[in-house]
Amino acid sequence: MAFLRQLDSSSKACQLAVVPSAVLCAVFSDAFVEMSVKAFELVPAVERDLLMGDKARINIECIECCGKHLYVGTNDCFIHHFLLDEVTSSKGKLSYSAQKLLHKYLGLKKPVAELRAASALERLIVLCDGIVFLIDMVTLETVPSAAGGGAKIRGVTAFCINENPVNGDPFCVEMCVLSSKRRTVQIYMVYEDRVQLVKEVSTPEQPCAVSLDGYFLCLALATQYMILNYNSGASQDLFPYNSEERRPILKRIGREEFLLAAPGGLGMFANAEGVSQRAPVNWSEGVIGAAVCFPYVVALDENFITIHSMLDQQLKQTLSFRDGHILQDFEGKVILASTKAVYVLVPLPLERQIQDLLASHRVEEALTLTEGAQRNIPKDKFQVLHKRILQQVGFIQFSQLQFREAREHFRKGQLDVRELISLYPLLLPASSSFTRCHPPLHEFADLNHLAQGDQEKVLLYKNFLISYLGEVRNTEVVNVCREDVDTALLKLYAEQDHESLLDLLASDNTCLLTDSIPWLEKYHKYFALGLLYHYNGQDSAALQLWIRLADGDLQDSTRTDLFEYIVDFLSSCSNLDLVWTYADWALLKDPTIGMHIFTKRPLSKDVSQLNPDDVITYLGKHSQALLLYLEYLVLERRIQKEKFHTHLAVLYLERVLSLQSQSPTDEAQLTTARERLQALLRESNLYLVQLLLDKMENCEQLLLERATLYGKLEEHERALHILVHQLRDFRSAEAFCLWASSCRDSAYRQQLFHLLLGVYLDGSHRGQSHAVAAGGSGELEMAAVDLLNRHGEVFDAISVLRLLPESWSLQLLRPFLGRAVRASMHACRTSQIALGLAHSENLQLLHDRLKERKKQILVSEKKGCHLCHNTFSEPDVVCLPGAVPVHTHCVAHRVRDSPTKRLLTNSSNHT
Amino acid sequence: MPEASKMKKPDVKLVLLGDMNVGKTSLLHRYTDRKFKDTVSTVGGAFFLKQWGPYNISIWDTAGREQFHGLGSMYCRGASAVILTYDVTNWQSLAELEERFLSLTDTASHDCIFAIVGNKVDLTDPKAQLSQDSSGVSEDQTEHEEERTEPQVLSSCPTPPASPASLSGITVHKQVAHEDAMALYGRILRYKGLEEKSSLPAERMCFETSAKTGYNVDALFETLFDLVLPSILRKRNENQQCPTIDLEECRGASSKRARFCC
Repeated sequence: MAFLRQLDSSSKACQLAVVPSAVLCAVFSDAFVEMSVKAFELVPAVERDLLMGDKARINIECIECCGKHLYVGTNDCFIHHFLLDEVTSSKGKLSYSAQKLLHKYLGLKKPVAELRAASALERLIVLCDGIVFLIDMVTLETVPSAAGGGAKIRGVTAFCINENPVNGDPFCVEMCVLSSKRRTVQIYMVYEDRVQLVKEVSTPEQPCAVSLDGYFLCLALATQYMILNYNSGASQDLFPYNSEERRPILKRIGREEFLLAAPGGLGMFANAEGVSQRAPVNWSEGVIGAAVCFPYVVALDENFITIHSMLDQQLKQTLSFRDGHILQDFEGKVILASTKAVYVLVPLPLERQIQDLLASHRVEEALTLTEGAQRNIPKDKFQVLHKRILQQVGFIQFSQLQFREAREHFRKGQLDVRELISLYPLLLPASSSFTRCHPPLHEFADLNHLAQGDQEKVLLYKNFLISYLGEVRNTEVVNVCREDVDTALLKLYAEQDHESLLDLLASDNTCLLTDSIPWLEKYHKYFALGLLYHYNGQDSAALQLWIRLADGDLQDSTRTDLFEYIVDFLSSCSNLDLVWTYADWALLKDPTIGMHIFTKRPLSKDVSQLNPDDVITYLGKHSQALLLYLEYLVLERRIQKEKFHTHLAVLYLERVLSLQSQSPTDEAQLTTARERLQALLRESNLYLVQLLLDKMENCEQLLLERATLYGKLEEHERALHILVHQLRDFRSAEAFCLWASSCRDSAYRQQLFHLLLGVYLDGSHRGQSHAVAAGGSGELEMAAVDLLNRHGEVFDAISVLRLLPESWSLQLLRPFLGRAVRASMHACRTSQIALGLAHSENLQLLHDRLKERKKQILVSEKKGCHLCHNTFSEPDVVCLPGAVPVHTHCVAHRVRDSPTKRLLTNSSNHT
Repeated sequence: MPEASKMKKPDVKLVLLGDMNVGKTSLLHRYTDRKFKDTVSTVGGAFFLKQWGPYNISIWDTAGREQFHGLGSMYCRGASAVILTYDVTNWQSLAELEERFLSLTDTASHDCIFAIVGNKVDLTDPKAQLSQDSSGVSEDQTEHEEERTEPQVLSSCPTPPASPASLSGITVHKQVAHEDAMALYGRILRYKGLEEKSSLPAERMCFETSAKTGYNVDALFETLFDLVLPSILRKRNENQQCPTIDLEECRGASSKRARFCC
């Protein structure tokens, strides 16, 4: 009696009535141990009544399945042939219907020990009563032996078919046979009507089980497993195993890889080289049969079917199965038999297994299973599946606050970030077209659902989103939804008072204005809102907002230097209308800083420039600002325009005059004001001198300024007169001479200094003759002496000597005279040297010329002219320095085209 | 976290061998998971793939139980490094290395390197009680302080399960001195027929570790990874020379052929 109880029998209940899913879950978790996965379902294929009815002594001995054909061998020497059809119910439930085609008594009264189909030959290979023979797959009739070859092998204990034969012949099957007496393994070729021994190899001990791949025999001997290459005879011991104690299992699971029952109930993997490349799985001691259905290892013992994953070696599912007898896989289909009935172990769709794992939050296993299936699924399909699983795993980890892992999985799974954003209420812009994917990636409604009102958690979630969005916003993943991402980020930054808000708005962004305005206003991020307006080209709105903020109508402490910011903004604002509109406000608030609107304007071509005349007109009512602006134009930008220079000079003068008229006068201020005026008067050549002279006609105090102005008019005598006689400031007089001649030649300077000397000497004569003041005339004399001693080099010594009064002592003028004599000597000697050098150069050239003349110059028809590279046709040549012969016309040409010559002709043309 | 690269083909193999309860699994856990966890007696074997630079290194953790002894040579076949592990508080565990485990390494690669590792040194050596591992170990330590439950307590395990006392300075008698391990290393070289001079020195290849505190664990694995790199390169070279290999062909013929064509 086969008793079967599937642990997941709840599936029946499911079909019978609509059971609330919660109840189903309860049943499910009750029946399953925590670790389990539902990877397979056990489906009956052939029931008892189809096979032996109520005959109790009849048992199933072996099975073979080939396509839809199922063969069952029994202990009463019968073979039953069934047609097995898969039936899928409307609900997707798989079942099998078996139709009995034939049964046949083999006539040996012994159990049918093994059955193998050779479908290409339409033969079944049968082992019964120690004899291997062939029967027809359809009629089940024994195949008669062909002439010249037998179709029977006697004395056989076990055989196996090579599923990966080296021999390429499709119409024969390679079979390996273990015989009961000799310690040998025989290789046969099985043909339609005969078997042919091709190889016999001996083994160190009696083999009791065999599996075959290529040339490799995997053998279970009495005390160990070994690999034997029947072609080369090379062998490789695997590991000890007592085959008498426990039935060995050896199962080919792939190319040159076998699964073996090992001591301690292990399922051990070994390849043909004797290396274990996968970690073993842990079975029970009493395993009867095993098979691989990737990625699972299925094993059968007396009471259970156990299913281990090859990926992590863990036990994944256990199915109760009494009287289990046979477990074999046929072309990927795992079939089991109890002694009385046959079942198919149907793998559940991979995706369902993965979803089951995810539903119980077993993310690692789900990922391992997904990734393990990579080679079994078409590439594009796998990628879709893998991405989805990664995303789901990410959300599970996200819900468990495992943000590092979640981030990694979102990234790998190329998650549409809106899936994540949509969990946070109000973050997605109202205009977003996003809808969550279906089926959903997670079970959460929103953040409140996730955090269950725990504000700390909410904060963690928000911080995660901030860092995640910040990370992905510049990647391709968000190409389709940049607006949504940037807007969400802006909202989060604003809400969390995050410092990156300004960086976001100041750099390239796609924040949606309509969605962001109310949000920024709500969190009083007015400065940021201004930036957003500006980014969206609404500078006027930005300025209005900022000005309200600067005036204290709105509160936002983002920037303490907001006023400077606005000024700076206006100074680089390309919309001039805005500049004119808001400059007033800025100048009224602080003219010095406000002026920067005009003075700090970048001078690049990208920024539209202001017309200085317009600015000056505009600044008419802001006198201080006007002065600053003119200073900027004249002193900083050095604009060479008479109007500005005169205007500035007049403003300076007015300032000096107004300071002078104050009483008491602020000397310090006055001095600075005068210094500015004087500097401008000295350095600028553009202002209207006469205008300024007229303006200061009545001011006796501004003598120095007047002297400068006379200097500008080249009325040096008048200027020096003022300086020497009115101001008696000899230092200034000297400085005047230096300044007034600074851009002129030395003769002009000499002339000026002589003039000054003349003024001194005249003054002193006049002083003596008129006897105004003895001290005064002496003072002028001393000034003259000082002048000569200090600036001796400027003067023409001879004419000075003529001017000087006889009475002056030599000692007094010693520095002047010494320098004058030395300079004269120096000039004399220098010219002598120059003369000598010129002489010698001339001689040298003469010498060279003579040398050149003596040299031969070879001219032939084969030789080319260096200028035009044509050959010479006549003996007339011109010789260039270095004995280079060239055509006469080439030289003429060259001389005509030489740059100096061309210059001359050009200039003559133009004039 | 388990590697996602389970399906990658390893370039080289490291095998942990040693008597049961010496802490092979714990050493591997400490290195891969940065934790000292509760382990159960390893059944059969398990392995872990470690990405080391561009290479995949498989580290096999074997079962120390006598029952699985026969499988050892399967795991060792072609190994580039073998870590022979003993328990510093258990003299027998060192003796077993020589008596039982050394012969398993006969199937290892011909240039296989050997490391001898005395684990549980935190029980005997105060300096090993302070973790060397920087990343979040201190919390693990407290978490797992009472979790050193050796599997199979019934067996003659001389080390008691770790108790808080063991960290507060009371040490257990150290049965195996570092010199004993170095002497064993010398004997292993002789067993392998290797010149002591041309082999890696004992001072470099004998480690004392604590899987519990992390003491010396990274140093152990990373020293070995660096030492097996030449072996990887050699293997890759061989594979490049004959990209499709018929193992049988190669065994006899190709070595000869290679010699001729040069």
